[in-house]
Amino acid sequence: MKNKLTRNLAIFYCQNVPGSQDDVRQSLEEKYGKAVRLFPMPCSGRIDVVHLLRALEEYADAVYVITCPPGACRYHEGNKRIVKRVDTAKKIIESIGLEKDRIKLITPPIELALKPLTSFVEEIEEEAAAIEPSAMHKKKAQGAGNKVQGKKEKK
Amino acid sequence: MITAEQKPIDEIRKMIAPYKKVLAVGCGSCVAECAAGGEKETGALASALRMACKIAGEDKTIDEKTLDRQCVREFVIQLDDVIKDYDAILSLGCGAGVQAVAEMYNEVIVIPALNTEFLGETREQGLWVENCLGCGDCMLYFFGGICPLSRCSKQLLNGPCGGSQGGKCEINPDVPCAWQNIIDRLSSQNALERLEMIYPPKDWSKKHGSGPRKIVREDQQK
Repeated sequence: MKNKLTRNLAIFYCQNVPGSQDDVRQSLEEKYGKAVRLFPMPCSGRIDVVHLLRALEEYADAVYVITCPPGACRYHEGNKRIVKRVDTAKKIIESIGLEKDRIKLITPPIELALKPLTSFVEEIEEEAAAIEPSAMHKKKAQGAGNKVQGKKEKK
Repeated sequence: MITAEQKPIDEIRKMIAPYKKVLAVGCGSCVAECAAGGEKETGALASALRMACKIAGEDKTIDEKTLDRQCVREFVIQLDDVIKDYDAILSLGCGAGVQAVAEMYNEVIVIPALNTEFLGETREQGLWVENCLGCGDCMLYFFGGICPLSRCSKQLLNGPCGGSQGGKCEINPDVPCAWQNIIDRLSSQNALERLEMIYPPKDWSKKHGSGPRKIVREDQQK
């Protein structure tokens, strides 16, 4: 099925999210092409502010982080730590003129502990239609679709 | 450990505004431990600054590099090969690190990205507390390993003051009373007799008495 994405997204997710095996990631990458970059992490607590900023800087119009439900982190508090890091990253991007909603944290309730990665990504695809192009990538974002856009700032 | 906090991004942007090519230099020692200027923080700051500049339409290059230790020349010389490419260095080192870099490269503008705070201890993850003034004449033996100069709000050498309530300081209930802690510690060590001594006013000449201090160790020199 063709994807509806017109924005570039970075999706970080905990590998403990159901249905997040490598073959699922590969099929999602085939479906969305370069418009979605998926970053499996051993735990959402491994994600740092710098990862979220780099994604916004180099490529993404929005960054999503999918964690385990509250109380379900296999390392006990990884999904608590990411909450504060996301808050910090939001404050930083707001201070430089980007909308803080370009970073979104998805923590499903415990009743949805079995919700698979593909369902999260499909919901993100729907939601992303309403996202304006980032001021960082406005020119590139026109007709973004599956084009490669990850080039770093010239150093 | 020397603790520090990052300056607001707006303040940093104003300082780097005149310079087109900037190298953000982190330090992997104290300021990495207090999550202010290590490799991750340097990367995050450089990334935020690049984004800010791009959004503002400024043509600026901001690269990043982290040294193991910015206050030791043997580590700072790693900048020798790259420094010529930049108009300014944005240092995420402590005040000593900033000055070491500035001293080594006189011709380069060195801008501090951090506010250096105090000599402290990592009490728990994300919490650093001041517990040493660097007075040059350590008296911790007499006070059970608790420094009243850095941890008592009134810096009393002959405490307690009488304002302590429930083990907390009267100036702020979040601050533990250092003298309560000293007495508890010495009691547990059966060493309360150390407090029978009257301690004279602190001799601050060892800290501020003769200008900037230095330590010379001939056995460590070439």
